Amino acid sequence: MAGTQRDTDRERARITDDNGVAIESALVGDELELSYPSSDGTVVECARLDIPEKSVTALVGPNGSGKSTLLKALSSHLEPDTGTVRIHGEDLGSFGQKELARELGVLSQENDSLSSISVEDLVYHGRYPHRGFFDGPDEADRQAVERAIELAGIEEIRDTELGQLSGGQKQLAWIAMVLAQDTDVLLLDEPTTFLDVHHQFRVLETIRQLNEEKGVTVAVILHDIAQAARFADYLVAMHDGELYDWGPPEEVVTEQLLADVFGVEATVEYEPELQVLPKRALPDRRSD
Amino acid sequence: MGEAQSVEGHRSAREREGWVTGRLVLFCLASTVITVVAGLVQVSFGEYSMTFLEAWKAVFNPAVIFDLNAWASFLFGTERPDMSTESIVVWNLRLPRVFVGIITGATLAVSGAVFQAVTRNELASPFILGVSSGAGFAVLATLVVFSGLAPFLPLIAALGGTLAFGIVYAIAWKGGTSPVRLVLAGVIVNMVFQSLQQGLFFFADDLGVVQTAIAWITGSLTGTGWEEVRIAILPAVVAIGIALAGARQLNVLMLGENTARSLGMRVERVRFFLSGVAILAASVAIAVAGVVSFFGLVVPHIVRNTVGGDYRRLMVGCVFAGPALMVTADVGARLALGTQMPVGVVTGLIGGPYFLYLMRKRQSMGEL
Repeated sequence: MAGTQRDTDRERARITDDNGVAIESALVGDELELSYPSSDGTVVECARLDIPEKSVTALVGPNGSGKSTLLKALSSHLEPDTGTVRIHGEDLGSFGQKELARELGVLSQENDSLSSISVEDLVYHGRYPHRGFFDGPDEADRQAVERAIELAGIEEIRDTELGQLSGGQKQLAWIAMVLAQDTDVLLLDEPTTFLDVHHQFRVLETIRQLNEEKGVTVAVILHDIAQAARFADYLVAMHDGELYDWGPPEEVVTEQLLADVFGVEATVEYEPELQVLPKRALPDRRSD
Repeated sequence: MGEAQSVEGHRSAREREGWVTGRLVLFCLASTVITVVAGLVQVSFGEYSMTFLEAWKAVFNPAVIFDLNAWASFLFGTERPDMSTESIVVWNLRLPRVFVGIITGATLAVSGAVFQAVTRNELASPFILGVSSGAGFAVLATLVVFSGLAPFLPLIAALGGTLAFGIVYAIAWKGGTSPVRLVLAGVIVNMVFQSLQQGLFFFADDLGVVQTAIAWITGSLTGTGWEEVRIAILPAVVAIGIALAGARQLNVLMLGENTARSLGMRVERVRFFLSGVAILAASVAIAVAGVVSFFGLVVPHIVRNTVGGDYRRLMVGCVFAGPALMVTADVGARLALGTQMPVGVVTGLIGGPYFLYLMRKRQSMGEL
């Protein structure tokens, strides 16, 4: 049980940056047990989860390892059976729904059904938590929308309807919507899955730029471990509903992890930069 | 600098236009013209024969239009001041029917549009979600059994509609609903309530009641007068007003439940509240005109095809297109077929095939 061992190690030592200064966590999950009302049995169990402030954390793990479930709990879409989630030290439950939406932006996976809305109108919806029931958009709303559109680099398609866009352009439009929400913390559920390489990079670059320029804390589920290892400041590896390991990619990504968590044989190169080269699938581990 | 200027330019362009497009304005104008023309045709025919000119003169007779006493008698039921025979025929017998048509058309269209957004289901309408049959049953029960409660018809209709919609939602709910589940549940509840309606006929004492009841189940504007306008106008204005104000909420709901929640909407509450508004709107129409089939389903589709899916435009479009289509259909029901037909027969005959056409044309049906 290497995973459990690592978990306890992590609990003792807080994360520090290069200078040995402890890094604050924007989001903290404590003693979380998560399950869905429609099915019985705990889906995710997690003693402690930290999303460090002003950095990009990638959640990785195979299908069904509980990444999305964990993200739902962090964004208050799923009430934990036990445990608490705190954002900047305050319990999620103490926020009103709109109040929370001004602190925490979430992009979920289910967003391709709507087609007859222009990109700009979609981005304006990101201002919803900042507006009252009868308020029209004010100057602050307009500026936030312009910034979001510029940051996502979608000026040229702002008047196009979603239905006419490619999957990648659509994803950028949805990301612009959460950017317009203007939150300090951003949670993204597989924003790059199903996109071509060009748009994968554009999405990741947008996230990175947002993080660097505005100090936004990002937690993002990434499907591709190699991509996550190169892109994120911290990795959280999930396996069978538990935290397998977390920390900077250089520490987390090992050939052992790829075998245990992802069931692939791979080589990991640390020089000149971290690189994961998956080779072949290991025989099904569940049989033993 | 150049970039900042272009952003500035775009921004002012947006402010100028907002969400109101030329197409929407044109659509509303055209709808208004159709409503007025159909209304004028409607008031020009009838047993008391008048020429077009006479009838129209009576409609625009300043002695009536600017007479506060006349309006008080129309809207509050006070004593009617003296008028010419033409004025009485037009203003007291024929025009109120047009007004009831306008009110029912607008409320049914708005109700259908709201239901389609709340359930995110383009098959949704007060008819298909059971609201119509539930409200219909409640009204029928009132007419046949508890005739003393007639003044409270809209309220009773709303209660029946709410009950039926609640049952439909409860059947369809399984940790969320899907368009198909909602429609299936609606079909089942519709059948049950229709059986109940038919059963009620056997408790009716005389043939007159049965005939009223049948006209009522098919949806009819025959014989509606200022009384119906008085019953319907206030709840209709309230329901339509709230629905228009809630258009942005509906737009956000259309983004999907998860996204709406992430944006800070209390989804269940908003959905519940707006469903209530839609039930009220449908009940208003049902209380004065009966169950006009297909109307709430088809009109939002027509409007959506013309002005687009943005609910701010869609709602305004529905408020104008609903009356135009209802008044026109009623002209057809009253005059085209030689004998007085319930308007529901006409809307069913036109709406059914139109819906079929939609089904054939589209690849996928259901999720909006």
